[in-house]
This record gives sequence, C-alpha cells and structure tokens, in this order.
Amino acid sequence: MSEQPLLKVTIDNITIEVPAGTTILNAARKIGGEVAPPAMCYYSKLQGSGGKCRTCLVEVSKGSEKDPRPMPKLVASCRTTVMDGMEVKNITSPKVLDARAGVVEFLLINHPLDCPICDQAGECHLQDLSYEHGSEGTRFEFQKRVFKKHDLGPYIQLHMTRCILCYRCVFTADQLTNKREHGVLDRGDHAEIATFIEKNLDNDFIGNVIDVCPVGALTDKTFRFKNRVWFLKPMNAHRDCPNCSGKVTLWNRGDEVFRVTARKDEWGEVENTEDGKTAWICNTCRFDKKKTSDWVIEGPREINRHSVISQGHYAGKIGTTQPKETFTAVHDGRQPKLLMDIHSVSEVNRPNIELSLINGPAHSADFNKKND
Amino acid sequence: MGVKLLLEKAHVEGIRSYEVYRREGGYRSVEKALKTMSPEAIVEEVKKSGLRGRGGAGFPAGMKWSFIAKPEGVPRHLVCNADESEPGTFKDRYLMENIPHLLIEGLIVASFALGSNDTYIYIRGEYAWIVDILEQAIGEARANGFLGKNILGSGFDCEIHVQRGAGAYICGEETALIESLEGKRGNPRIKPPFPAIQGLWMRPTVVNNVETLSAVVPIINMGGEEYAKIGVGKSTGTKLISACGNINKPGVYEIDMTISVEEFIYSDEYCGGIANGKRLKACIPGGSSVPILPANLLLKTAKGETRYMNYESLSDGGFATGTMMGSGGFIVLDEDQCVVKNTYTFARFYRHESCGQCSPCREGTGWMEKLLLRLDKGQGKSSDIDLLWDIQRKIEGNTICPLGDAAAWPVAAAIRHFRDEFEWHVTHPEEAQKRNFGLAHYADPIHVPVG
Repeated sequence: MSEQPLLKVTIDNITIEVPAGTTILNAARKIGGEVAPPAMCYYSKLQGSGGKCRTCLVEVSKGSEKDPRPMPKLVASCRTTVMDGMEVKNITSPKVLDARAGVVEFLLINHPLDCPICDQAGECHLQDLSYEHGSEGTRFEFQKRVFKKHDLGPYIQLHMTRCILCYRCVFTADQLTNKREHGVLDRGDHAEIATFIEKNLDNDFIGNVIDVCPVGALTDKTFRFKNRVWFLKPMNAHRDCPNCSGKVTLWNRGDEVFRVTARKDEWGEVENTEDGKTAWICNTCRFDKKKTSDWVIEGPREINRHSVISQGHYAGKIGTTQPKETFTAVHDGRQPKLLMDIHSVSEVNRPNIELSLINGPAHSADFNKKND
Repeated sequence: MGVKLLLEKAHVEGIRSYEVYRREGGYRSVEKALKTMSPEAIVEEVKKSGLRGRGGAGFPAGMKWSFIAKPEGVPRHLVCNADESEPGTFKDRYLMENIPHLLIEGLIVASFALGSNDTYIYIRGEYAWIVDILEQAIGEARANGFLGKNILGSGFDCEIHVQRGAGAYICGEETALIESLEGKRGNPRIKPPFPAIQGLWMRPTVVNNVETLSAVVPIINMGGEEYAKIGVGKSTGTKLISACGNINKPGVYEIDMTISVEEFIYSDEYCGGIANGKRLKACIPGGSSVPILPANLLLKTAKGETRYMNYESLSDGGFATGTMMGSGGFIVLDEDQCVVKNTYTFARFYRHESCGQCSPCREGTGWMEKLLLRLDKGQGKSSDIDLLWDIQRKIEGNTICPLGDAAAWPVAAAIRHFRDEFEWHVTHPEEAQKRNFGLAHYADPIHVPVG
C-alpha cells in the first residue's frame, strides 16, 4: 500500500496531522477533550449519518493552504473533510458558540424535559449538550408538540416527544437489518419516527437502535423504570453467541442484571471488536439473557470519571478518586481555613444563643436584642 | 414595448400543437445546435449570453453547465426543475401551459450540450394538467424526430421523462428534487458533493429552472453575444415576472430588465398601478422568500437612485436596504395590507414546508409561526419582536439547504422595515384587530439590532 499523505489541520490552535478524507470532527476527536465538537446525529459507525443536528457547526477561518479564503458559513464538521493547512475554530469562535447555543435552544423547545422519569437520564447526549451549551431558562412560551403513540413491539419503547430526529435509528435499521420497517413520516416539526402500519420492530438486530439513540426516544422496554443508570455497575461480559460478537456491557446491581447494552466508547458509540467490526449485539443477548450465569464476566467497565454513572461506585482507576493523603499533606502543611466565618457575618446564627430557650419561633429581633 | 423572447409566440392560436409551433419557427435551435454546433460550443454560447438561473439564486447557467463532471462511461443527466411552489411565483406554469414546445426545445438543446440521454422534468404535483400538456408535446416531438434515437441524424439519443412531485415545496431545492426523483424522501442532501459531480443516481447532473432552459432557445437562435445585448450589466436577456397582489393587472410579464420598478408597477403595459386607487405600501419583488421592501426603498435605492427590475439593482444595498430578484414572484401590498399578517402567512408556509431534517429550521420555523400568530392576534409582547429577530438570526446560514434562509429573510426584513407596525400590534392590541396600520413611517430608518 502506498503511503497516504498526511494533511495538517489546526483546530482551536492545536495542529494535528490526519489522513486525507478525515472529517473535521474526527480530526478534532483525535485531539480530544473540549476541542471535539458535540455530535447529536453523527455516528461514525453508520454510513450517511450526520449533518442534520447542526450542533457540530464550526468556523473554518482558513480553507486550505492553496485557497486560504475562509468559508462563508459555519460548516457541519461531521460532514466536511479537512484540507491541507485548514484552520478551524470551534470553542475559540464566539460565532460557533452562539450558533450552538441557538441549536440547543431549538432542540429543547419541544423537548418534554422529563429527565426525572426518563430512562436515558445520566447517559443522555442532550443532557450533556444542554449542560454545556444551553441557557438556564426558556424563551418558548407555547404548548410543546405531542404525538400519537406508536407501539413498536415488546422490546422497544418509543417516546416521540423526546426525539430530536437524528435519523440514527433509521440508518441503523437500514444498514444492520435486511428490512427496515420504521422511518420518518411527515415533514417539518411534525415529522416523526414511526412504523406506518403499527408494526412491531422484530428484526434480530433492531435492539441496536436503543444504543444509537442519543436521547430517551428509544428505550429498552425490559429495563424501563427498573433503575437509574447511575445506580448500576457496568461490567464487561461476553457469551458465545451464534448471531453476534457476544461482547456486551452488563448493567448490574448486586447480582442482578438490569440491562445489557453494547460496549460504548467515550463518544457514546458502539466499540469495535478486535477484528475491526462494530460490536453490535443481537436481541437475544440484549433482551433475553438477564442472568449473571448467562455471561462470563470480564470485569468492571471503564466509564469516564466525569460521568454521573461513575459516581460513588468505584475507587481508583474508574470513578471518583479519593486522595489517600491527608489534607495537610496535599496542601504542603497548610491547614485548611474557612474563608469566611459565618458567625461573624450573620446576626442570626450566633453560637451563644440557644434556640430552645426562645419562646415560639425565633425572630431576627430575638437575636438583635441579645447582641452584646 | 419591451423585447419578448419567450412569450413572443405564446398567444398564437394553437401554439401548443407541434404544427403551429414548427410553422412559427420552432425547433430551429435544435436543428442549428445538433447539425452545426458541438456540445462545447453550445455551453460556450450560453456562457457568452450571461444567462443567469431563473429559479431564484441567479447563478450563471453557463458556469453551472461547465462544472459538470465528465467521467468515462458514466451517464449524465439534465433535470428540469418545474417544481414551482414559491408563493407568488407562477411564471413556469404559464410558460409550460401556453408554449410547452419551447421548454421541450430548450431541453433537447441543453441535453445535447450536456450529453444527457435521459432528461427529466420534475414537475410540481399540483400541476397535474400540465403533465398531460408536456407529455403530449414530448410525444409530438418524438413523432417528428426531435426525440428518441439518432435525432436529426446527429447520432445523439435523448428521451424526456416527466415525473410528478407529491406536493412538497422542499423538492424545489435541487438535491431534494434529486432525492425525490430517485424515489426517496425529499430531504436535501448535504453538499458537497454537488450535483454536478454526484447528482441523480450518483451521476453528474445539472438541475435548471424551466425558464432558464427555455431561454436557451433564443440564445442558440440569435447567438449568445446578441442575447447579452438585451438587458443591462450582468442581467442579460429577458425575465418573466409573475405579478400579483393589489395591482390592476396581475399576470405574467416578460421584461428586458431595463425598466424601473416604478414603471413596472404603474405603467399600463405591465401591472397598471395599484388597484382601487390605493397607495403602494410594500412589495416583495422575487417570491415569498426574498426580503420585503417598503415603497420608498422599492422605488429608489438608499442612495437615491432609481431602482430597476434587474438582479443588481434590486439587490443594491444588500439586505439592509435592498432585496433580491429571486424567482420573479412580484407581490405588491397596498396600504390596506398588514405586514404582520403577511409575515405570519409566510412563516406558516415555511413551517409547513420545512423537511424537518435539521434542527434550526424544523424547530425555528414553528416557533416563529407561533410568535407571529400571537403578535398578529394582538396577544404579543414587545420582547417577542426581539425574540423573532434572534430566532431568524440563529436559523439563517445554519441549515443544510436554503429553506432555512428563505424562512428567516422575510421575518428579518419585515422587522427591519416595519418594526413600528409590529410594535403597534403590541401597544394597540384591540385596534390592531379592527383596522390596519396603514402606511408605515418607514421614511425614518428604525434601529434594529445587528446580527
């Protein structure tokens, strides 16, 4: 194979060399961290995905070495390939951040914001996105849109109100199963994911649409309302499956397996197996094998320690690391010191006053009186 | 009397039939092109003519043709965009209905120039009867040897297929049209790749408007240089304008782009003035998606020069004080019309026609419609106007296809030029339901947040 020339691309002032044909988003993911634009609809394992949600918009301030003109509009980084010498601004561009805040607002105006009862909460990309780029309030003062409910069968629950129409599940069904039975009906803001004639989705690999869904629109009926994801411990496990790779993540609480998902990488996408194929899992593994004895446990799964899922479960490599040293050791012998003594500021909370001695509910006058 | 190239023979008795059209000099350009010219020479001639796309964007047609990729062994396609669905635009319908052979003739020449053996007319679903007219014209052309195998002994084969749309405005966008033509959901594709490289069935494709392709006929007949002499500057040739609204003579007019807007509205040859002796309030000169202009900026540019009916003059001043030629849907509003209601009507249209693929357009158009309805009904707040401005700003330029821009521009322009009318709907909610604001105080530019 001939040597592929590497292209130089600078994203947020960080330069990286990538092979030709790489998209800006994938180049930024190689740098990692905050430089990688958020992606709600792009899914690197699905052909044709991306370009729709507009959260990954970036500014190209220099087209390439040959043609240094900047691109006139913000471009979708997931579908724009890099050129040699291209300069891209993501979080360093106020224009990008403004547009992204706009997109988040648009995505949320009709979203039910029912996170407290949503099974996706804790691993929802829309939550992460609105946490990072959203505003605290809403300017939308109208009724949110609702949809007629569609039953997708015994395994998959569809909440159309939560859907952001990323088309990922449509691509998944197209590329993984031999016959797609659901799709997008209607257009505009009344477009919806549905089967046209109330059909069950019953293909062997259709369960993967749950894994690709960035929000809680498609959730696992066998796991529904059973537990919050952050109370569960993700464990890598495998079994000898005739249909799929059998490499999964079990979500346990104690000995009980609450749900089974594919193994997802740091971008929320299903990982590759050793032979380079995407480790999609079959419905049998996902929905039917809910006993620990069905699986060979490999060990706890690494979860980004900033994720709510990792909180309170593991010490050390995974999860929150508790420092073993004492506080004084960490702070070079300095003792901790409160910046402000509340008692010296507050009229109310004086330690020399015993609340039980006051008749009736305490009033600020009670404190001022004895303030000597 | 202006020059007429397209509609010159449109009113000859029986021009729809091949015999009459041929007697009146039809299909001369096919003979000339196929017998005496090479495909490259035709493209060169169209380039020389300076013909600009008549569908709205005004991109030079010759340039577009020269971009088409020519890989070995891959068929190329020409697609005629007859999905004319812009509110206020009905020029293609008039053309196809009255003189269908002109389009067929233009299509044959253009197909020869581009090497398209299978040429498609993607026609709006609502134009059901025009499909029959076109099918008949195609049948007659084939019977007389202008279509089919080895046309006029040149060795060039060409078939024209008519495909009906299913009533979606978005399928007028060229990549959505191609998707729809392939039998898929009419979602615009993400560009690049452009259709000139990978279009219909991933083959190089050129998509042109009906009027653009019809204009190829006079270009070949009279020569590109001669055609370029008509008109002014980069606005060459003639343009069909479909005038509607509060004017005495609504209809389709062919203009040579040298007349002023004032002449077009008030002269008896064209619109014949404002109906019922009312005064001109505003005008949307290029179909619903171009910015609305108040009367003072419409007749004179911000610099005080006379505004003419051509691409450059109409867009003089950018979006701040200008507008666009667009597709030529000339909508005139008199003093009795409400700009807020008009903007709401457009917003409702765009909400309904958004394909729902990308988030800013899908959610933003619905939001704008709701806000405008509230303002129109006198239930709005003054902060709604700033909110509308912010929403349109966040839609514009951030979507896959131009529908987002098309939805944002009318709202932006209405607020830019008629903010006092919006405010009046807020401050006088009851009065706004009973009477109209009338002429706006648009002589004084009102400050609008930039963005």
